[in-house]
Amino acid sequence: MVKKLFKFLAYLLLFFFAFIYFAPKVALYYVAEKELSKFDIVISDEIAKERGFSLELSDATLYVKSIESAEVKESSLTLLGLYNHLSVEDITLSSTAKAFLPLYIESINATYALYNPLNVTLNAEGEFGELDASFNILERTLHIEMLPSVVMLQKYKNSLRELTKNEDGSYSYDKNF
Amino acid sequence: MKMGVIVMIKISNKVLLSSATKLLLILVVAKALSLALFLYLPSDGVDIVKKRNYQPKYQRVDLKNMIASTNTSTKRDPIEQDISVSITNMILKGLYGTSKKGFVIVALKKSPSKTSIVGVGEDFSGYTLKSIAATNVVFTKLNKDYILELEKIKSDKSYIQRVNKRTSNGAFKKSDSSYSSDEPRVVTRDDIAAYAKNPKQIWREISIVPLQNGKKLGGFKVTKIKKGSKMAQLGLKKGDVIIKANNIKLKSYKDALTLYSNINDIDTMQIVVLRNNIEKELVYEIN
Repeated sequence: MVKKLFKFLAYLLLFFFAFIYFAPKVALYYVAEKELSKFDIVISDEIAKERGFSLELSDATLYVKSIESAEVKESSLTLLGLYNHLSVEDITLSSTAKAFLPLYIESINATYALYNPLNVTLNAEGEFGELDASFNILERTLHIEMLPSVVMLQKYKNSLRELTKNEDGSYSYDKNF
Repeated sequence: MKMGVIVMIKISNKVLLSSATKLLLILVVAKALSLALFLYLPSDGVDIVKKRNYQPKYQRVDLKNMIASTNTSTKRDPIEQDISVSITNMILKGLYGTSKKGFVIVALKKSPSKTSIVGVGEDFSGYTLKSIAATNVVFTKLNKDYILELEKIKSDKSYIQRVNKRTSNGAFKKSDSSYSSDEPRVVTRDDIAAYAKNPKQIWREISIVPLQNGKKLGGFKVTKIKKGSKMAQLGLKKGDVIIKANNIKLKSYKDALTLYSNINDIDTMQIVVLRNNIEKELVYEIN
């Protein structure tokens, strides 16, 4: 009985991975794009490529409310069900954001995995410094811990005032949705 | 003994074959499902097509000066016209029209105040006006084309001096009421940079909310303005609805932000506000 159950689970798992491998990821991405456009968020001019278990996007321009907000050189989305990872690299924000924070972000990595099912974790690195964030799905709370760079500390004091300064020199931010 | 081995091999082949068939079946079902999904899902995403339509540069033309100058130029003796004038000695002060229709306002560098209006096909100092473009015009002489660029507007020094005289709170000395209705107000690039660095300061001095006209944006309404502040010096009043800036209708946040992002390339800014349901034009010179 146990042997049969294991066999069934093995076949199920195989089917699951085979389906992810064969799934039309670009077409699925287009569906996600259409859903995002309802919130006035458009990813434009990108080149989308399927890579086995992941989807890669390059040279994308992000528009929010038709305003050019960022240019993203590379991004990769891996959806394995048990482990899902989004990696975004080489981001340049629109010059309209120059008053609020440095424009270049080196990388953003977001992970949602079975070993931490209640939280989506995120870390980012860029001219602004380093940032770790987590979003609790159940409580719908966002917690951000940021270690600002020298540039951020010197030129963007006004933006840092929006965050709470910790004793160790880092800054934190909490928000409920 | 041999029989036993053959039976064993047959059994193992059977198990192997059955497992392989199952695996293959799983793969085929997975592929078929993804193919069905592929046929069902959209084949195109969402893209924003950047509009490349030409937006002419906003340029003010002083009609009074133009008319006066025209009179001067018509009175001028044709013999006085120097036909050996080089194109580099000419200034293009204004232009109006399309490529084959319209007129331009030109002057010579040695006497920039003496302007002449030249239509397409007409002559000026030996050059024939061939066509008008967005920011330049083409003259021809002896079958050669010469491009004359539009003169960059420079502000009157007296304005700059006036602006530099500030009160202790940083506001301009000249009161809002002392500007005549069509007199350009002066905004310094330093002020713009200071506001860009500290955007909160803007919202301390002025409150602007988007005015929804159904689903569309009808402009931006000024709901509060701090007296004596730099923002108050801009001539805006509480209740004004900003509907246009540099001939661009403000129908979205994008329109406003596009203008803001190009502020460094703009010398003159014109905004149209609805005040008591009457359109009013406010003009700024950016130094």
